[in-house]
Formats: sequence, C-alpha cells, structure tokens
Amino acid sequence: MSSLAARQAALVAALVAGAPDPEGFDPRLLDVARRALLRKRSGEVARHWPLLAASFGTRWPAVFAEWAAGRPSQGSHQDGLELARSLPLRGAAAEELAEHEKAHRPRSSLSRLLRR
Amino acid sequence: MSDPTGSYGVGIGWRPEIAGFVAALPGLRFTEVIAESVPASGPVPAPLAALRAAGTTVIPHGVRLSLGGAEPVEPDRVAHLAAAARQLDAPMVSEHIAFVRAGGLEAGHLLPVPRSREAVDAVVANVARTQAELPVPIALEPIAAIFDWPDDELDEAAFLTEILDRTGALLLLDIANVYANARNRGAEPTDLLDRLPLERVAYVHVAGGAEHDGIYHDTHTDEVPREVLDLVGELCARHRPPALMLERDGHYPPAGTLRTELDAIAAASGYPVIT
Repeated sequence: MSSLAARQAALVAALVAGAPDPEGFDPRLLDVARRALLRKRSGEVARHWPLLAASFGTRWPAVFAEWAAGRPSQGSHQDGLELARSLPLRGAAAEELAEHEKAHRPRSSLSRLLRR
Repeated sequence: MSDPTGSYGVGIGWRPEIAGFVAALPGLRFTEVIAESVPASGPVPAPLAALRAAGTTVIPHGVRLSLGGAEPVEPDRVAHLAAAARQLDAPMVSEHIAFVRAGGLEAGHLLPVPRSREAVDAVVANVARTQAELPVPIALEPIAAIFDWPDDELDEAAFLTEILDRTGALLLLDIANVYANARNRGAEPTDLLDRLPLERVAYVHVAGGAEHDGIYHDTHTDEVPREVLDLVGELCARHRPPALMLERDGHYPPAGTLRTELDAIAAASGYPVIT
C-alpha cells in the first residue's frame, strides 16, 4: 500500500469510524467535517425513513448523529433499520419499522418450509 | 461545453424530486444527471428520455468514482460511467477531483486529496484509466474542502492546472466551491479565477450553502448567496463559460424560488433567461 493509500484510509477511519485523528490535520476542522458528514447522512437516512425522522422533528439530525458517530455507514436503509430497532418507537414510526421488517424479511427456503 | 456551434447558457441539475419543474422550463438546453442513477442498460428513465427527445443535452455527473483515491478506480464504476454517456448520447461526462472511500470504508461525501506530487500522480493515473474507457471527454470538478492536508506542496491553481495539463481533461468549475474555499481559507476567490485556465471550463456549477461551526459549507440545500452570484459575474467578465447550471440536492424550495435563482444566474452571466 502506498503511503497515500494508508493516509487516506487513516483519514476516512478518523472521519467515520471513530479512529484517532491522523497527525498534522487541524483537529477542529476534522471535527467540523465529521459533523457535516453526519448531517448529510441524517438527511439521506430521512429520505428512506421519513416517519422515523419526522417522529423526532427538528431533533432528528442530532438524534441520528449521536447514534451514527463512529459507526461507518452501511447504507441509508440499513442505518435507519438499525437505529429504528434500537429505539422505543410508537405510532407512525413504529408502523414504518414494521413495514420495513415485513418487506425485507429474509425468505430462506427453510423459513418457507417452516411456514407450510 | 466545448460545443463548437455555440453555448448552452443556463441549466439546472436534474433530480427526480424536481423532474416536473425541469421538464417545464421553456428555455432549457442542458441538464446534468447523477451518473450512478442512470441504468447501464435498458430504458432511460422516462423524464430523462423526454428531455433528450426534446433536444436537451444531458450530462452524466459521477459522484462515486473516487478519482482521487490512491487505489486504481474500480473498472465496474468506470464502465458504468461510460454506459451512462452512451445511454444519454452525452457530449461529455464529469467527475470530481476527490476521493470518497479508502481502506474499505465509504466516507459518504467528497474528500479532498492532498495537493502533493504523489496525489497529482494518483489522480492523473485514475483519470487516464477512466478516459481509456470513455466514449466522450471528461470534465473534472474541484471540490469544496472543509480541511486541508498537512502535506500540501502546491497551491490550488498549480495543482488543478497540472492535473488538467497532464490529462487533457476539461474543467467543471464549481463557482460556489471557489467561494467556499476562499472564504474558509481567508483568501480572495478572484485570485484563483485569475490563475485557472478558464478557456478549459466546459461548464460551471452554481450552488447554495450555509455556515455551520464557523465554516461555510457547500450544502446544495440552501439558497445561492449574493456573493456567489457576484463571483459568477467576476468569472464571466474574465472568460464567459459556455454553460452554467444551478445545483440543488435537497430541501427543494418552491418552483418560484428556483426560477428566481435561475434568473439570477442568467442575469449574472448575461445568458438568456430559461424560465
């Protein structure tokens, strides 16, 4: 791995996976970038999970950021699913989670056999 | 755009959420679509096919190729960008001078590469790998950077000019990024305009932003500030690009607000209004 590859990997790990800041960067600006990435992710997850996001109103970006800090994205759908499962949801947000669980339940041949 | 027959004037980035608004613009001659959203085969989404049928040029704009990554670009992603260009019969494609993943992790956004010789070599190699598969030219877009690398050896103008010279690529100049970087680094945005090869500009992005944490962010979800429109005027006074487009990626405002922004870009650049 070239030194550039290693340094890019260290930087991304610091920005999204909770790794320590690489040397020489302005830690304040890396922190600003981390928050900007979380804000962008919160908007993308809200598009997949509009009722989950709406249930928190204007607090959504902060709620999402607290959960997602240090957790690399697994895609907006999966991120929303894991966050929703971790919360005591009620009302529309709970129904949204139930819909997603139903739509994405794995249909293995074993589960089909067991359902017969 | 390097269209020898003339200029495209003012356009807007096509997004599914504003497809109806874009389709109804009477003077629209070009738009841009996120390349990763264009199917590599099979029918083009109906709204884009309708724009093509009406004679509107559609440019595929890649966001996840990671041309600035130290690793070689992924062949599947390059093939998809080439397929998108063929699907849309596009005269060019565009991508960023940035990296979006490293070490198996996705950053989720465009990250700056160091302005070092090593990084220039990596970008040039990745652009060459991409150009080898593309049926059309590529325009490269410099990004807005929230932070800089400690190992920067070149200033932005030297860095960009060297990449353009060595690749022969066109420049997609994001005037809002020029504004954001200058504001955040405490520099004059016109200093960069004075040193870039403006005759290489294929088209220009114009977008809005907002300040968070004391830093100006190029959000694409806020209104276009007056300062960015003024910079459009500064750019056009030096060398008017063949095309400029509004880039909006969320928190879509009412149609009237989008029309006002498009008209403001037309006024700042001297191109006809398209609304």
